[in-house]
Amino acid sequence: MAARYDRAITVFSPDGHLFQVEYAQEAVKKGSTAVGIRGKDIVVLGVEKKSVAKLQEERTVRKICTLDDHVCMAFAGLTADARIVINRARVECQSHRLTVEDPVTVEYITRHIATLKQRYTQSNGRRPFGISALIVGFDCDGTPRLYQTDPSGTYHAWKANAIGRSAKTVREFLEKNYTDEAIATDNESIKLAIKALLEVVQSGGKNIELAVIRRNQPLKLLESKEIETLVTEIEKEKEDEAEKKKQKKST
Amino acid sequence: MATFFGEVLSVYSRAVEEDDDDLDDENEDERIHREIEEKREVHIVWCPEVAQSLEDSGSNKLQCSDLIIAVGTNAAGFLSAYVLNTESWDAVGHVSLWNERSRGSSRQSIAPLPGEPACLFYRHRDNPAVLVCQSTCYIAEDQLFQWTEKVFGCLQKRGLSVMVLSDSPVAEYKTPDYLYGSAVPFLRSLKSSASKGQALCPALEQPNILTGLPAAVLSHCQVHQIPAVLYQCYTDVISPDSITMETFKPALLCLSKLVKLEPCLSADVLRKFAIITEAQSNLYT
Repeated sequence: MAARYDRAITVFSPDGHLFQVEYAQEAVKKGSTAVGIRGKDIVVLGVEKKSVAKLQEERTVRKICTLDDHVCMAFAGLTADARIVINRARVECQSHRLTVEDPVTVEYITRHIATLKQRYTQSNGRRPFGISALIVGFDCDGTPRLYQTDPSGTYHAWKANAIGRSAKTVREFLEKNYTDEAIATDNESIKLAIKALLEVVQSGGKNIELAVIRRNQPLKLLESKEIETLVTEIEKEKEDEAEKKKQKKST
Repeated sequence: MATFFGEVLSVYSRAVEEDDDDLDDENEDERIHREIEEKREVHIVWCPEVAQSLEDSGSNKLQCSDLIIAVGTNAAGFLSAYVLNTESWDAVGHVSLWNERSRGSSRQSIAPLPGEPACLFYRHRDNPAVLVCQSTCYIAEDQLFQWTEKVFGCLQKRGLSVMVLSDSPVAEYKTPDYLYGSAVPFLRSLKSSASKGQALCPALEQPNILTGLPAAVLSHCQVHQIPAVLYQCYTDVISPDSITMETFKPALLCLSKLVKLEPCLSADVLRKFAIITEAQSNLYT
């Protein structure tokens, strides 16, 4: 049945599906994993680094980008679609500053991106954007925010979420491990993001890229040395846990 | 041809080259039909030793206990990497045919170049009753029957057992449940009623069907009561890919009973047969 209703974006199937939108969500699953965590005074974005060709400049293959000084996003899916969405969002952020003389709230820019995506699910001749985005930042009043958008144009606020390949595994890990103690300090929130990614990233810390925004500070990309240090800390903690469990069992 | 909603259908042209003008129209039609038939005929070209042994045997048939057919780039790549990588296999023949999508060489005797889509036969040196066929070229629907008849016509039916490996896009797999990404690629099997053993993976569920060469071979085996088992791998990658090839590994169990296989496979060998698309593909990030 899908075959007759999945070619044109403007056609509903008899059971109410918009197949092109659902297929666009499949395209998102082909991108590598990205995870977002909202802490108390920090927001963290972690992504699985794509393997770069030998002659390719690594810094041009980025999954995390700033939209403004206080907002940044990570995406999963079609690279070219992401570039268009990011450009439009950046223009909108500046336009908002000039018009209203205030920086955008995270919710405003997320709504703008989601509206843009929704428009492409309702015009003929155009296909939906094949990306999902995790948008993080701080509002003027200092509240940290994390939003997720998907190709259908919906957006929701999250405490922690993951998109891309193996997002389901990462989300299940976060559901078990996102607790108030886990995000008590900035360092702990960063470690939670790394732990979540390590669930699905092969070959450990060197394939992880991490970005943080702290209140009233611009985006900071962590250096690979820092990530390696944190990964070693996490592994040591895991070993200590295992040791404790073994001792408990033997006594 | 573009349709109203923007989908593009590929339709094959039915235009035929006009030869000299003939006064009698019916003769001309017949001639055209005959020419097309000749052009689309399927020819099997055996190497001299095999052609000789075919002549020497009274019935013009080869002794064959096991025939393994790989249809598709991933199945063929799996056989190349895991089975045909030792030195003990000889190329003994190829099938030469022409259709709109497989423009094989016009001269039958020229063997296809390595890497070209083709249909090749290999025989094991120590156990000449084991034949392997790798088919990576497209065989049109009207040529499938000919292919099957001619290939099986060269093999002795008694004691013959057939295994077919094929791959297919997972988009063609119909199931009421949602397929999570981790399940793909996966194997499904189909057997002819003469096949007694246990298949190594679940049977292909309804309403999924097989098409093309694997279906033609299995139908032939069913009609002629030859034990045959088919393993179809559903994969989400369109190019030859090492993970898809590894999915066929359970079939190695049956193959290792027939011929000695390389005990462990280096990753380099597999990579040779799989097209590395990861680094070059910047489509998805």
